[in-house]
Amino acid sequence: MGVKIRQGPGGASASSACYRAADREGERTTANRERFNFMSEILRLSNISKTFPGVVALQNISFDLNEGEVHCLCGENGAGKSTLIKILSGAYQPDEGAEILFEGKPVVLNPHLAMSLGIQTIYQEHVVFETLSVMENIFAGAEIVKRGFLQKAEMRRQTLGVLKYLKSGLSPDAKMGDLNSSGQKIVEIAKGLIFKRRAIILDEPTASLSSVEIENLLDIIETVKNSGLGIIYISHHLEEVFKIGDRVTVLRDGRKVSQHEIAGLTKTTLIKDMVGRDPSTFYRREKVPIGEVVFEAREVNGNGARDISFTLRRGEILGIAGMAGSGRSELMNVLFGSARLDFGEILINGKVVKHSNPEKAIRNKMCFITEDRQNTGLFLPQTIAQNVTIANLVNTREFVVHSRDDAETGDKFVKQLAIKTPNSQTRAVELSGGNQQKVVLAKWFNTNGEIFIFDEPTLGIDVGSKQEIYKVMVDLLKQGKAIIMVSSDMPEVISMSDRVIVMKNGEKMAELTTEEISEENILTYSIGHKEI
Amino acid sequence: MSEPAKRKSLFQRHENLRVLSIFIGFVIIIVLLQLITEGTNRFPTFISPVNLLNILQQVGVPGIVAIGMTIVMISGGIDLSVGMLASLVSIVTATGISKWHIGVVPSILAGIMTAVVLETIMGYIISRTKVEPFIITLGGMITFQGMALLLCNSREVIMNRELDFLKVNLIQGARDPFNHLSLIIPPYVLIFFLIALLGGLLLNYTKYGRRVYAVGTSPQAAYLAGINVQNMKLSVYIIMGFLVGIGAVMLLARVNTGIITLGQGLEIDSIAMVVIGGTALKGGKGNIVGTLIGVFFLGSIGNAMNMLRLPSEVQFVAKGLVVIIAVSAGDVSTRISGFLSRRKELRWRAEQRAAKGESVESTK
Repeated sequence: MGVKIRQGPGGASASSACYRAADREGERTTANRERFNFMSEILRLSNISKTFPGVVALQNISFDLNEGEVHCLCGENGAGKSTLIKILSGAYQPDEGAEILFEGKPVVLNPHLAMSLGIQTIYQEHVVFETLSVMENIFAGAEIVKRGFLQKAEMRRQTLGVLKYLKSGLSPDAKMGDLNSSGQKIVEIAKGLIFKRRAIILDEPTASLSSVEIENLLDIIETVKNSGLGIIYISHHLEEVFKIGDRVTVLRDGRKVSQHEIAGLTKTTLIKDMVGRDPSTFYRREKVPIGEVVFEAREVNGNGARDISFTLRRGEILGIAGMAGSGRSELMNVLFGSARLDFGEILINGKVVKHSNPEKAIRNKMCFITEDRQNTGLFLPQTIAQNVTIANLVNTREFVVHSRDDAETGDKFVKQLAIKTPNSQTRAVELSGGNQQKVVLAKWFNTNGEIFIFDEPTLGIDVGSKQEIYKVMVDLLKQGKAIIMVSSDMPEVISMSDRVIVMKNGEKMAELTTEEISEENILTYSIGHKEI
Repeated sequence: MSEPAKRKSLFQRHENLRVLSIFIGFVIIIVLLQLITEGTNRFPTFISPVNLLNILQQVGVPGIVAIGMTIVMISGGIDLSVGMLASLVSIVTATGISKWHIGVVPSILAGIMTAVVLETIMGYIISRTKVEPFIITLGGMITFQGMALLLCNSREVIMNRELDFLKVNLIQGARDPFNHLSLIIPPYVLIFFLIALLGGLLLNYTKYGRRVYAVGTSPQAAYLAGINVQNMKLSVYIIMGFLVGIGAVMLLARVNTGIITLGQGLEIDSIAMVVIGGTALKGGKGNIVGTLIGVFFLGSIGNAMNMLRLPSEVQFVAKGLVVIIAVSAGDVSTRISGFLSRRKELRWRAEQRAAKGESVESTK
């Protein structure tokens, strides 16, 4: 890196931004002169693999990024996009044999080096200082300092300059916490420009934006791209990919499937590349005769869900598919009464019910196995017995409860669900993910519920326990119960569901019958082709 | 071949044993010190029946408040206002008796009701907003102090021994077999034990108790398990108000004067007792037996210092150190036992692997 100029005696971090930028400018011109043959290449990754204990997240990926281009990354949930980004930002180290070239030179990335080389990652969740201003956020940790004093005027001048260049109306003095997600993204992009970053990685930047904001952001990305930066763009929305992308790389199950120039590419080709799993990853489930309607949602609105209607019958699993952020869990909370139902009706056994809180939902025989097992499903420091009996307190009349009865109930479920522990006096925190999930199930079985909502039933659970949980779900169906299953695990949705509802942006895009359920159909609807 | 059952240390299985053993160690040290300084021919005064009953009298009122504080803290809350609330209650009751002349029982009821109503208001704010209970009750503490001072015009309210029936000696005539001093058990000591018993039963054997623990462990999970988290949080403060009311009347009976300093430091003492007893500040963990140990432990420190003829200033240092030691001992012992069990498991795995390796070779 360039020579760091220290100003003032106490200015440890005083290597001022403008000087650093000037240094890099100089360096780049020399570098360009040296290798004018492929001067536009910023990054080249080859042979990238990443294994976690028990999981191969990435396998032999190659990827490259040029100056002035938007290179998109596409793939389903769990295809390996996030892992690849984390390697690029230095958060993960790839397995041995990987090669990363930055402007032709081999590098071993760590978060600090990635930053100083000029690779900036803008994550979906913002890491910002909410109480500081836009300007202070941009210069946080790299303030322009002269003799120990902040050069606010200079910092404001630079901030204003960049915001103007991006045609953004943001004020440098606005509080970061007051901006919406779109504004915060723009500030981070502005930061990338001020510090003359070389590459910006955007992870799902449009996830929670309105359509006007998306347009605005895409325009800004176009501007940034034209100023010579390389952009890696990750999105579930194919429209955006086709609008601003130059090239696209498709990942599936940790492998690189294809790389295309966007020009001349059709959406169908892209979707074909994204689907096509190995059939051995599918579970074969036993079908159960389907009975009468037990649950019905009529134009349910609230918590982000819009006009959702569906019916649920005894003995069936209704899968709810969609990309992350499509409003599936939000809808489940409305159905269970843990989020407000703005309007619409919920019917159980043909009768309209009002779930103003979960207590009423439980009385109406509903059960909700949440996505976040550790925080909303379990009482981690408490014993299995205590966890199993807590929800059924709603249905008990007696004020006095006996620990011995609780222990008996707990032990019964430990045996019934084969929870691996000596007895029900083990604390939930000491169990593995799969066994913890079984405790959550036991908690709901104990309430004698009829309608089960499973939100990501096997998230973070090993393969063996997954099969066991699937078996338990089928057993529920055999007892005439009904299941709504939200899942981002494509094989799970396809192999377990009798019908599938696909959601996007809080809306129901399609309802697929057993015959229509396929990876291609689900993916097509979840990335935005509305059923006509 | 099953994995060896994870053996937990004795202290982990019976959480109260840890602080109990520290307490017993403390008692032994004091007794030994007394034997050394005063010779072995006299029975150590620290553990003489008359002194033990004396300690009970001293801890009775803070003990009652500590029972309430245990419930509040298990639910994830805290109450800093109890000290000043007790002062306010004592002044209300004393004023009722000696200035308004509304009779003894109505005055006592007025005092207790004051506490219940004020705690209900705080509990309502705490349960309906996201403001930390620490801050709300801190505000309550200052407000109650002001209310108390306004009511008594910053003067003390002296009574005419109307509440003496609360401190009659229940075992009149009993004498200490060692030094022949008369033994005293006033009614409020019994009330303290009764409340402790009820508190223990409530937390351990009722639906309500289960829910208190659930709310303290994880409010979100509790809500999704059908618990009305807001009302649970409100209810613990109502219970607290009732117990502070009772405690304050007892305190008033002891000193016969309603005065602002009466409840001073009560919040610190009761919180210290509860945390010594193993209740976690973040909620979800703790029990009444632990709190009882904490009550006796903290109560006996000052007394022991007196027995050893140490200046009273030393008491604060000792009390503070006991809080620190009792609370951090838990973490230290968990770390040690965690380390030991990990090592054991690794060794077991290694043995398994070795055994498997051998069996593979033998089949070849």
